[in-house]
Amino acid sequence: MFRWTRRRNLLLQEFETHIAMETQENIDAGMTPEEAQHAARKKFGNVLLAAERSRAIWGGIWIERLLQDLRYALRGLIGAPGYTVTLLCTLMLGLGCVTTMLAMVDSILVRPLALPHADELVQLYGEDRAEGTSASPRALSYRVFDELRRGTHAFAGVSGYNTMIRPVTAPDGTRITLLTEVTQDFFPVLEIHAKLGSLISTAGTERGVDVSYEFWQERLHGDPHAVGSSIKIGDETRTVIGVLPLGFHVPQGTGAPVVYLPIHVNASGEDDFKIESALVIARLRRDVSEEQGLADAQRVFSYVDRKYGEQYRHLRIRSYRELVVGDLQRPLFALLGGVGVLLLIACANAANLQIGRAASRMPEMATRLALGASFARLLQQLVTESVLVSVAGAVLGGGLSYAAIALVRHAYGHEYARFDELALHPIVLCCAGALAIAVGIAASLAPLLTIRRQTAGRSNAKNVTRRSRLPGMLVALQVALTCVLLAVSGLFVRTLQALENVRLGFDPHGVTTLVLMPEKQNQDPDLSRNIETRLLERFATLPGVQSATMQTEVPFSNYNVALNGTTEVDGRAFHQGDSAFYSMVSTNFVQTSGIRLLRGRGFQAADETSSSIGVLVNEAFVKSFLDQREPVGSTLRFHRNPGDKDDDLPFLQPMTVIGVVENEIQGNDLGAPFEPMVYLDYRQLPAGSLLGMVFSMAAQYAVRSSLPPATLASELRSAIQKEAPSMVEMSLRPMEEGVAQSLGERRLALRLVSGFGLVALVLSAVGIYGVLAYSVALRRREIGIRMALGSTRSKAAGLVMQQAGIMALLGLAPGVAAAWAAGAAVRSFLYGVKAFDPLTAGAVGGTMLLVIAAAAAFPAMRAAQVNPVETLRAE
Amino acid sequence: MSTREGADDQLELMQGTLDMLILQTLAFGRAHGHAIACSIERRSDEVLQVGHGSLYPALQRLLKLGMIAAEDGVSENNRRARFYRLTAKGRRRLSAEASKWQKLSRAIARILSPPAEENS
Repeated sequence: MFRWTRRRNLLLQEFETHIAMETQENIDAGMTPEEAQHAARKKFGNVLLAAERSRAIWGGIWIERLLQDLRYALRGLIGAPGYTVTLLCTLMLGLGCVTTMLAMVDSILVRPLALPHADELVQLYGEDRAEGTSASPRALSYRVFDELRRGTHAFAGVSGYNTMIRPVTAPDGTRITLLTEVTQDFFPVLEIHAKLGSLISTAGTERGVDVSYEFWQERLHGDPHAVGSSIKIGDETRTVIGVLPLGFHVPQGTGAPVVYLPIHVNASGEDDFKIESALVIARLRRDVSEEQGLADAQRVFSYVDRKYGEQYRHLRIRSYRELVVGDLQRPLFALLGGVGVLLLIACANAANLQIGRAASRMPEMATRLALGASFARLLQQLVTESVLVSVAGAVLGGGLSYAAIALVRHAYGHEYARFDELALHPIVLCCAGALAIAVGIAASLAPLLTIRRQTAGRSNAKNVTRRSRLPGMLVALQVALTCVLLAVSGLFVRTLQALENVRLGFDPHGVTTLVLMPEKQNQDPDLSRNIETRLLERFATLPGVQSATMQTEVPFSNYNVALNGTTEVDGRAFHQGDSAFYSMVSTNFVQTSGIRLLRGRGFQAADETSSSIGVLVNEAFVKSFLDQREPVGSTLRFHRNPGDKDDDLPFLQPMTVIGVVENEIQGNDLGAPFEPMVYLDYRQLPAGSLLGMVFSMAAQYAVRSSLPPATLASELRSAIQKEAPSMVEMSLRPMEEGVAQSLGERRLALRLVSGFGLVALVLSAVGIYGVLAYSVALRRREIGIRMALGSTRSKAAGLVMQQAGIMALLGLAPGVAAAWAAGAAVRSFLYGVKAFDPLTAGAVGGTMLLVIAAAAAFPAMRAAQVNPVETLRAE
Repeated sequence: MSTREGADDQLELMQGTLDMLILQTLAFGRAHGHAIACSIERRSDEVLQVGHGSLYPALQRLLKLGMIAAEDGVSENNRRARFYRLTAKGRRRLSAEASKWQKLSRAIARILSPPAEENS
């Protein structure tokens, strides 16, 4: 660089010598010194241009020009701090949001799973014939799994697992922990090696357990001698034989602590639950496609002797990646679309700001052109400045998104799959950088066009109020895009409202739910049932408790056991796929849950001794099975499929409907449709029924009381302590908390989208303000003259408001249409509100108009304060 | 703007000619910029119409190509100046270009001359 400067100086010196010689010749020819000097200079031509052209030949000029431009841009930007800060903030917000979402998409969806050859891993699962398109993971039985393992050729390995939650005692005390029971092939199929010790694989490890890296860190304090130490699962002591490497998050994909233990399969190939509970992960052979793998597995599946629901299922295949993050794909892409819109708004803002600045620099541009700068050179300088700002914005935005990513990882790392792997990878930063450069160039195009037009024209910009339509169009675009974001957040708000107002079907107020689990996993079901019944009676007699019940399905509980039974009603032909969910409850169910009894009666203590089994059914059941019939007194039974033995049915006795109750929320989703449901009093269950098993897994109580939740909780705990110390508490919370929690995911989405909407609104307001303020500055003369000719201050203000109104209308009309389209795009996330909601549209339109009016008010006021005398004086 | 763009075009067109003229001028011995400009001006004022200044980019290009070399010296008027002289490469190029130009101009002359003369 210094070399170039020196060389340039030498060249300029040479020019001067040249001119001096020419001058001398002219003087010799008889001119006066001034004339001679003037003539010589004229003959030489543009000195700077000659220097510049010579300089261009030396090479490397672009570096020098770039540095020059950068220096100049920096100086210019520092000279206009208000403009620079506004532009930087705009770009920081836009690029920061986009970088954050890109990082999430990259970390969660794009980055390969941290497993060797993860693309060969697939899940084999069963799918109900009726709902052919659903991809909900359906477990297979261990018997089928074993046949698949032995009979298929397309797979390098087939492994099975199932997960459950149990109390685990480690040196730091007892906590509820996620357990994964795995087959011997599990780790070999995943090609995972232990960080410490060894993994469950061969014989001799039946009593050992492996723990995840997180479990080792959090529960075993990262002890390097952890291998060989003991932990208790329930009341069973197991030895830790190995620790898994960091980042091994199979099968949940989350960074929660997990204990892996070998599955116990009995001689007939069934696990302890004797139902379908095996989830299957297989590794395809390298040269085999998913379709071939599926065909091979289906061949085996077709001849295996299947039981229960499994016989009606189809075998399906999907990639392991889809199993882990399939659910996140759509919401993430929707959010990415949202931030894309935000970036467009920011870009429009940046363009408008630059148009304003370029216009105020017009005299400078004109001078530079007159001095011999080429248009390309000016263009390069403007683009450099714009790119400099947007790259700076990207750097700040990168910082912002780094913080945001850390926040999200911390807050949701254990909750959603792969969220603990969230990070800003270099590739995302590169993308953000490229995007910033693109935004910088795009945002400088508009001002360049303005400059080109104005300098090419012969008119003197100083004396004419020139108005470009471009800034107005950009503002209209912003308004339209902001409408979209606001409308979508509005729809989400309405969805949440609708969900909060969903008829729960029961009264959660004053109800506390409690989930207990026997410490001993394989405890005799009858013993469990005895203990649980004793506890129930104890709870019911606690002071302040109105009533208590047990339910296998409690709304919003994570411990529900869904029992789906093929059901037939006497006097109605059986159709394939007729099934209902069965919930086992205790006598006080109706009273405690506050569920509305529509017909008939609830359970009574006397039912226990009656010969037939009385059941309650819900409205959905009546609608599907007992339409146009008197429900009370109808008889139901489990349907016996051809080939079913007595053992295959839960029980053979018929059930009599004694009452109909309102639909109540099932499971965790307030927006889910109601399924047909049958409530059975568990004390009427025939002895030895399979359904009794359910209670040995987990007992769920609901207790209705007027006591404050904390008081009730301590009373319940002391009762458990006294009555059944062998039961472990899994969960204890007021039911209303569960209702609120079930909306958590939607709240998160709403927060994000309305956050985007808010940012968009602010950006639009800034954009409108900027354009109008600039336009008022340009039109000062015009307004002054109008006033001098008799216009009033309010008319001057009206002029500005009118301009704002036109921009608003130009934006709102397409905005509402686009909002409609966006609503249709996110329809699947909505509940209780249509894609186009007039109320939301109205609210969005009103908000936009208010904000536009507020943003336009200041420039309008400034227009009203124009002093006509000053204008005339300047004229 | 239109005039400046025109100047650019002209320079493009004349570039090759200008290079040739410079080399030709330097064939008689070393010279400084002003002397070269005057010499060229005498022979063809078309090329330097836009000013003596446009000589210098051409000199820089020839320097870069190694056709000419520069050295400091003192002018006839006792002024410190930068002198340019032809290098061996420049000399070779000049003779090659000159014979090429002569061939070309002979060919052009033959094409443009009336066919009757060719027959005679």
